[in-house]
Amino acid sequence: MSFALGVLPVILLLLGFPIFLVLLASVTVALVWTMHLPLAVLHQNLFGTIDAFALLAVPFFIYAGELMGRGSVAKRLVDFVHAGVGSVPGSLGVTTVGAAAIFGAISGASAATVATIGKVMLPAMRRGGYPDTFSAGLITSVGAIDIIIPPSIPMIVYGMAASESVPRLYAAGVLPGLLIAAMIAAYVVWYAKRHGIAAGEAFQLRRFLRAAARGAWALGAPVIILGGIYGGVFSPTEAAAVACVYAALVTRFVYRELGWRDIVAAAASTVLFTGQVLIIVACAGVFAWLLTVNQVPAAMVDWLQALNVSRIELLLAINVILLVVGCFLDPLSAILLLTPLLVPLVKAVGVDTVHFGIIVTVNLAIGLFHPPFGINIFVAQSVLKLELGVIYRGIIPFLLIYLAALVMITYIPEISLVGMRLLLRAG
Amino acid sequence: MSILMNAIERCLALAFMGAVCLNFANVVGRYGFGRSILWADELQVYIMIWMAFLGAAVVSWRNLHLRMDVLVQFYPRSARLALRAAELAALALLSGFVFVQSWRYTAQMIVLERKSDVAGIPMWIPHGAVALGFGLIALVALWRAAGLLRRRATSVESDEARP
Repeated sequence: MSFALGVLPVILLLLGFPIFLVLLASVTVALVWTMHLPLAVLHQNLFGTIDAFALLAVPFFIYAGELMGRGSVAKRLVDFVHAGVGSVPGSLGVTTVGAAAIFGAISGASAATVATIGKVMLPAMRRGGYPDTFSAGLITSVGAIDIIIPPSIPMIVYGMAASESVPRLYAAGVLPGLLIAAMIAAYVVWYAKRHGIAAGEAFQLRRFLRAAARGAWALGAPVIILGGIYGGVFSPTEAAAVACVYAALVTRFVYRELGWRDIVAAAASTVLFTGQVLIIVACAGVFAWLLTVNQVPAAMVDWLQALNVSRIELLLAINVILLVVGCFLDPLSAILLLTPLLVPLVKAVGVDTVHFGIIVTVNLAIGLFHPPFGINIFVAQSVLKLELGVIYRGIIPFLLIYLAALVMITYIPEISLVGMRLLLRAG
Repeated sequence: MSILMNAIERCLALAFMGAVCLNFANVVGRYGFGRSILWADELQVYIMIWMAFLGAAVVSWRNLHLRMDVLVQFYPRSARLALRAAELAALALLSGFVFVQSWRYTAQMIVLERKSDVAGIPMWIPHGAVALGFGLIALVALWRAAGLLRRRATSVESDEARP
């Protein structure tokens, strides 16, 4: 059994096989050669894992982000934040952080943020006197905030894998996301002062109101999504569907940037994404079921208790594992592979599973831009035409900021849990 | 095969847009008219199931499956080719295996005439997505394997023809 569920998946993963195939091979070998169960359980679990209304939020949020990302929404958000930032030192850098955070509250797809915000901000930052190394590091890393600030696709998948409530996870992600954004913004201000980068134009109420009016429809999306969920109006799935309709109406009829063909093309892209991700979710469901019926998580908890590992040591070890895994695997696959194993362990030492969801998400967010293989690095390279060496050098200070934030988020659970309690009480 | 996959992708995209509209209509109905479309949730989930399994077949055809391929890039070309062949063989075999199991299950649904609880949709329709999806993935793998063998044969012939 340990070969089928432990050794085989690692070997196939290292050989570069598709992740769903890795899981499927493991469960088939376990079912056919070691467990001798009726083979109908394979179909039942593949189907049963996907047969969940909450999972619909994944394609719905992706579609809303696809629609919003195809028009001028990013430019409108950038103009709005820039007008609000005024003459703060490093105003263009701070604008990048703010626009990425707001865009994250619309789409939740990190690579899309790097591409859309980066295309607008890189030329502006060049004109503003920022070295490419700094701009590249900022743009590449700041997109990772998007999977921490709700709506977040990895949090939906974690919620499903850990049987945790998505609204609770979303509420818990707000403060950590804002904390990271604030830490990056503070570094940008310090950097701009130190390198004598000219500040932007002073704040003008008229300019700000004009930018706010231009971006009002785009800014309405996060208000609808988060306001709807925490106002008790929609479930996350319904909020995602409403966001899709809103995005289609705004980009088609208000901004008049997308035609019907574009709207169908965005739906086709969403179909491909769904096919990529949900087939892994289905196979991971069978894998997790096999782990449970073979009592693997329970055995790991017993082993952990025998070792007498403290909560601090366990969380440190898990952070290291997740950071390493995040360098090689996309967040959704990593969550599906590791959550069934890690959640029983952290529960055994008294860690809240909502708090743990945020720890997992922040770790895997770092993996999105962690050298050498973070996906956002390659997005920045191809979309922004930057050299890899420039991006790698630029990322280092931002990586350190994220790691500092990760330590705070890991060891101060209140950063995650206070936001959750406040938002859920308000709802 | 390309035409078939494009057609599947387009049909799923339209069905997905229908699911979005259905969900939105349900919200509007609940708040605007105090009524819900009871069967809407089931239908949306079944559309997602079709998107997941048939979408995976389209993803297989376009070779877009998520994988950890950072290490593979450093392997020599011959090793990469051998791995690709092994992957296609495993894909055809395992997907074929799931197709058979899922088809048996779906056939049982047809015989038992099971219907969904609210919408009354015959359950062989959503269950059939698993069989059809994996069947198509197996077909794609065989198609790709045949292509790989053809290219290999062509390159061997051209090597032999070289003076």
